[in-house]
Amino acid sequence: MSMVEINGQQIEIDEDGFIVDPAVWNEGLVSYFAKQEEVPELTEDHWKVINYLRQYFKQFGIAPMIRKLCKDTGFTLKEIYELFPSGPAKGACKLAGLPKPTGCV
Amino acid sequence: MKPPMHVAKENEVASIGLPRVPKQDEQTAVLKKLDDLRSSMRSLMVMLENCTKCGNCAKQCHSYLGTEDYHNFPAARADLMRRIYKRYFTWTGRTFGRFFGADDFDADTLSKWLTYFYQCNECRRCAKFCPFGIDTAEVTIAARHILSEIGIMPKFMQGIAVNMNKTGNNMGIPQPAIVDCAEFMEDEMREETGLDIKIPIDKPNSDILYIPSSADFFTNVDTMIGAAKLFHYLGVNWTIPSTVLEAANFGLLFNLNVMREHNQRLKAAATAVGAKLVIQGECGHGWRAAKAYTDGCSAPVSFEIVHILDYCDQHLGKLPLKKLPLRATLHDPCNYARAGEIVEQPRRIMRACVENFVEMTPNRDENFCCGGGSGILMDEMMEIRMKLGKKKAEQVIALGKLDYLAMPCSICKAQIPVVMKYYGVDDLMMGGVMDLVGKAMILGEA
Amino acid sequence: MLYFVGQIFPYIAAAVFLVGMIWRVWTWLNVPVPFGLTLSPAPRTLTGKAAAFGRELALFRSLWSGDRGLWLAAWLMHVSLFMVIGGHIVGISTLGNEFTAIGLTSEQSQRVSGIMAVASGLLLFFTLTVLLYRRTAIPEVKRLSDPADYFDLMLILAVVVSGLHMRLTSIEVDIAAVRAYMGGILSFQPVPIPNEWIFISHFFLVNLLLLYFPFSKLVHLAGSMVNQAMLIASPPVYPSSMKVDSSRVQSNVQIWRGGSQQ
Repeated sequence: MSMVEINGQQIEIDEDGFIVDPAVWNEGLVSYFAKQEEVPELTEDHWKVINYLRQYFKQFGIAPMIRKLCKDTGFTLKEIYELFPSGPAKGACKLAGLPKPTGCV
Repeated sequence: MKPPMHVAKENEVASIGLPRVPKQDEQTAVLKKLDDLRSSMRSLMVMLENCTKCGNCAKQCHSYLGTEDYHNFPAARADLMRRIYKRYFTWTGRTFGRFFGADDFDADTLSKWLTYFYQCNECRRCAKFCPFGIDTAEVTIAARHILSEIGIMPKFMQGIAVNMNKTGNNMGIPQPAIVDCAEFMEDEMREETGLDIKIPIDKPNSDILYIPSSADFFTNVDTMIGAAKLFHYLGVNWTIPSTVLEAANFGLLFNLNVMREHNQRLKAAATAVGAKLVIQGECGHGWRAAKAYTDGCSAPVSFEIVHILDYCDQHLGKLPLKKLPLRATLHDPCNYARAGEIVEQPRRIMRACVENFVEMTPNRDENFCCGGGSGILMDEMMEIRMKLGKKKAEQVIALGKLDYLAMPCSICKAQIPVVMKYYGVDDLMMGGVMDLVGKAMILGEA
Repeated sequence: MLYFVGQIFPYIAAAVFLVGMIWRVWTWLNVPVPFGLTLSPAPRTLTGKAAAFGRELALFRSLWSGDRGLWLAAWLMHVSLFMVIGGHIVGISTLGNEFTAIGLTSEQSQRVSGIMAVASGLLLFFTLTVLLYRRTAIPEVKRLSDPADYFDLMLILAVVVSGLHMRLTSIEVDIAAVRAYMGGILSFQPVPIPNEWIFISHFFLVNLLLLYFPFSKLVHLAGSMVNQAMLIASPPVYPSSMKVDSSRVQSNVQIWRGGSQQ
């Protein structure tokens, strides 16, 4: 774990670069994580996925099923990989400030 | 030597009740644990005392073949523990030391253990070929158990332990999310078939308790859907417990006490709904834990334990299956083929579900591991994971153009797609065997 | 000195061998098997288990499906060892007349007995040499090998060479005298050892081997059987029968949690 400074704010991130406390996430941090995940430019599509993930996480405390994410945002899995090169479970969750999905994934 | 994975921090291991032993007490603590294990686990003692070092296992181990790292050669891997064992627990080792292959515990011992016992997939292929029946997985299980008991484990394992404590499943899916996922899958099936196919969660008074893999509630949706369709067609009274949404038992992969607790959770869940039959979903080591370890953890149990593929195979004749136009092959999960007697069932199911079923070589109980087995799925070990998966990739590539690669185990499902992509194959569908059943089954108007 | 080598040491060696082996096996069997480790596909019937056990023991089946070259060397080595040991027992007790039982004359029997002894001995020598060579020629096996691994091979080779020496050179060892001596040992009325230095060396080396055996990896003779028994055990059946092995559950509970926490 280590601390990084983003927009003047001290943020604790884990070994995989995920935010440790999802509660401290705010929209201002996203561009930092986008750079880490090799997302060159944040578009409306990115935000659509990020906002969906945030909203689901707030309600259920976990990332949604991948297929549900696709269905509810209207993107195919391939499109999500285009938006977030390391995929929905890793890249998208990191930008949205969700904990890293663990287990057999 | 720096282990190739993130190691859980002191506060993290303490949070799961396995506090880190201070550096200066490590040797005493490890030897004490080793002494406990050797006097309570016959396999460990006999296997540490009977290797003749013939080297036959080198060519049988995908880990050694893939990494070409000496310590990944099964006999050499076991020797990391054997040398310590001989030094402190045998007369010849204490007296003659290196002459009999005994070594002192030193500053590097535990980092070597952590590094190499987490490059063993516990696939048991070496046991199959060892003339003395030495099963390196037993040594690996013991080494990981000892390490975790003194608070040394990969962050990955610790994270899963936290989730298991909190929710009873590896992914940490809470009950409301489980219900939400089930409803989503019910909607999917309704759209596809027009039928009201249920995925009942925590339904009291159920005859059958189905234990999926929690990954079926995240990535491997079709596996869950296949099982739900099967139960629906057979008209059985079944449910999924939200307390054990997990066939996997990662305790087996890092700490045997955690393994016992999870196994007892399974018994409690089955007892709570009065299930007579527990069906385990597509999870390799979880099947081994349920089949072979329930006896030692939770006996006596009043229910039967079967695997979903065995159950499906028993009813195969009655299912309305239409063969899918696919050229498909099966990767035998190690724990099915070498520890769980699930060998012919998936083959019969696949032959009923696809037009062209082909075998990879070697197969069945001589199959090579996917390289992710025993929970080596850490992202930071990706490079090593790809080496561990090399044999598997070669086996699949040798078959030429395929449409579907079946791998009825969540660890395989997480590992193999990455491996295949790494070795240049990405025009291939991959998933479980129950996925095929779900797709080949004709229900309703569809 | 000859008195010690001929009339005392054999008893020490035999006692250490027997007690040592029983002790080793007992220490293994005394430890519980908390969780089954059946390797599937596992035989279900007693006949099936016996067959699996026998195939492993007599034919080294696991090795056959792995490395055929090693299988050939190892299997022939053990078979010739078995023949040599059997040949000693039969040949010495009948003074080479064992084949009169199948109609040969005494002279013919002694000749056949001698030829078989030399052939088995040479095969044993050859296969042991191959195994020794293999240990040094394969890099990972060489790195894995400890001095004891070489020592074991060389000790057995020394026994074989001293034995062959009596067959292949002009040194004549009187088998009748050996029989009388062995008879004395076995009836606990030891008589002086035949005063032939090559026989004395051979006999001494054999005793050394017996003395060394229980402390070395040569115990794989018994250990492999203990292992195989675990690998072919029937997997548990659920629902559990009413008769639960309480000692298993007990030892399990104590060690995994209780024992290791203290």
